[in-house]
Amino acid sequence: MRRLAEAPEDFLAEPRVGGTGRIEVAAVVGDLVRMLGGDVLATDLREFTGGAGAGDRNRLAVVLLLCWLLADDWFQRVRPGAPDVLRVLREGAPELAAGVAAPKVQSDPDRREETARLVLALLGYRPAGETPAQAQDRLTSLSSAERARVLKAARSAEERARAIRQALARKAAEESADKWTRE
Amino acid sequence: MDSRVTPEVVADEDRYPTLTAAGRQMLHFLREHPHAPIYRNQSGNRLTAEDVERVLAFEREALAAPVGWHPGGQPDWLDGFVAGCLADVPFYRRYGAMPEKFEQLPTISRADLSPDIAQFVPDTLPLDRVINFRTSGTTGHPLLLASHPVVAASYLAFHKRALRRFGLELMHGRGQVGVVLVGYQRACFTYVSVTPTMDESGLAKINLHPADWRDPSDRERYLDALDPEVYAGDPLSFAVLATLPLRTRPRALLSTSMALSPGLRERLQERFGCPVVDLYSMNEAGPVAVADAAVGGHVLLQHRLFVEILDSAGHRLPAGERGEVTLTGGFNSWLPLLRYRTGDHAALRFDGSVPVLVGLEGRPPVRFRTVAGEWINNIEVTHALQRFAIPQFTVCQQADGALHVRLCGVSHERERIREALVDLFGAGQRVSVEDVEAFDGKVVQYTSRLADACP
Repeated sequence: MRRLAEAPEDFLAEPRVGGTGRIEVAAVVGDLVRMLGGDVLATDLREFTGGAGAGDRNRLAVVLLLCWLLADDWFQRVRPGAPDVLRVLREGAPELAAGVAAPKVQSDPDRREETARLVLALLGYRPAGETPAQAQDRLTSLSSAERARVLKAARSAEERARAIRQALARKAAEESADKWTRE
Repeated sequence: MDSRVTPEVVADEDRYPTLTAAGRQMLHFLREHPHAPIYRNQSGNRLTAEDVERVLAFEREALAAPVGWHPGGQPDWLDGFVAGCLADVPFYRRYGAMPEKFEQLPTISRADLSPDIAQFVPDTLPLDRVINFRTSGTTGHPLLLASHPVVAASYLAFHKRALRRFGLELMHGRGQVGVVLVGYQRACFTYVSVTPTMDESGLAKINLHPADWRDPSDRERYLDALDPEVYAGDPLSFAVLATLPLRTRPRALLSTSMALSPGLRERLQERFGCPVVDLYSMNEAGPVAVADAAVGGHVLLQHRLFVEILDSAGHRLPAGERGEVTLTGGFNSWLPLLRYRTGDHAALRFDGSVPVLVGLEGRPPVRFRTVAGEWINNIEVTHALQRFAIPQFTVCQQADGALHVRLCGVSHERERIREALVDLFGAGQRVSVEDVEAFDGKVVQYTSRLADACP
């Protein structure tokens, strides 16, 4: 968790998406897999190239942070295989990115803990001194709290959107108001 | 009634909350004049006394504020505006944190606004008095946009700024008609109102199409009786207005919605003896810029609107290079724009620190193939035809290279127009010309069925 909190600037920088941004995330993923002793094909890296457009920016920013976490000495000793590393990035990053902005994954203590536990769980490990049940309970509790917050926010956003659509459909809204020119 | 509209009674007190006896008299005059058209709809200014003060304060600010930024830089207000968007606007919140540089933010287009405009309304704004503006969408993306009566009334600040460039200050007031908005369509939203910030001067939105009048000659009788200080409309409706035997003269024409050719502008200026002010304006952002031949382009009007020119990949282009006009900011708080790609193309040049859009063309560029096989940009067609006073036209290049031109309102010029196109495309170019009575709104001006026509 401390490692995430101490992520260097390059891993917090803007991922390259659609011609903008600084960091080529696919290249970082490739370096990570090789550093952990694995091999990676160009096709394995395609989903980290930012080709899906600007909406993918947050997921790629989370991938960068996961890369930093997985480059820790402990993982270098454990040496997870390339398929496992890619699976963590493929499955873990979208799950985390769906609820929070990448900077919060790094700055919020609960999100740091959730991230570290999720990565360990996806690789089949758990924190030292915890039973599998304890580790699972703690991860579930962290992600449930976050999920509840995300769901509440989503519900409130949907209510607001519905209210806007209703307001725009009122007769008074349809009648509009004076403009000196019309387009 | 529109099926999307919920049944609801709207009273005149809602349409004109500050109406006085003088205002009521003006409405009566506009509606009940013996030569008045058939008014088909109702609307109003909807401004409360507090709103009127807000509009007037905004107008003072908009008229006094400098517009622009240092070439290569960005305006001071931009970072705060972006932070507000990322915090309060559902669509932009998905972007996550503020990137290192403004130009790393994603761009949006009509395709993003079209599916659900609610995603662009900030969480912090009240909804009880929202209004909407609809656009038909010549590009396949009709829009329903959220706005507010104060925003709609604030257009006038930018009209005044535009008129000032031509030495004009509006002078009308109580008991006079400020503006008549003229349209020429088979179906058109028409109504009357008063403008509280101009001491309840009259406003009429009318359709010049004969179907809206008891007698076609009522048009000139009614308009002479109104004697408005300004006419607002599009080139097509102005071309019709110019045919009416009016005795009165406006002080200005405000032209929006479609490109105004220099030929038609000259003809209208001669006909009405007043400046014809060509505005680059859109529902999404209001009046963006005004054409000024003295600086060779459209001068920006809004003090809180940042304009970038982007290439097709979304990269910002340096001053002088032609690309897509992209907007950030604006004065409609119910629709904050963050790197909105307009679909219009121009180059940005600086006249001192004042940004000017040069060679503004609506919609994406289309290339046409000449007889010799060379590609030419649609702007060259615009240049070839600009001496003709064509209210509205389209040019389509067929798969076999032949040109099909549709013209509205200039049947007497059709042969010369055909010759001008043959001169541009080369001897042997096949050109068919079709006269069209009306296009009924905006059209996509240039199209091609040739492969590689859209660079």
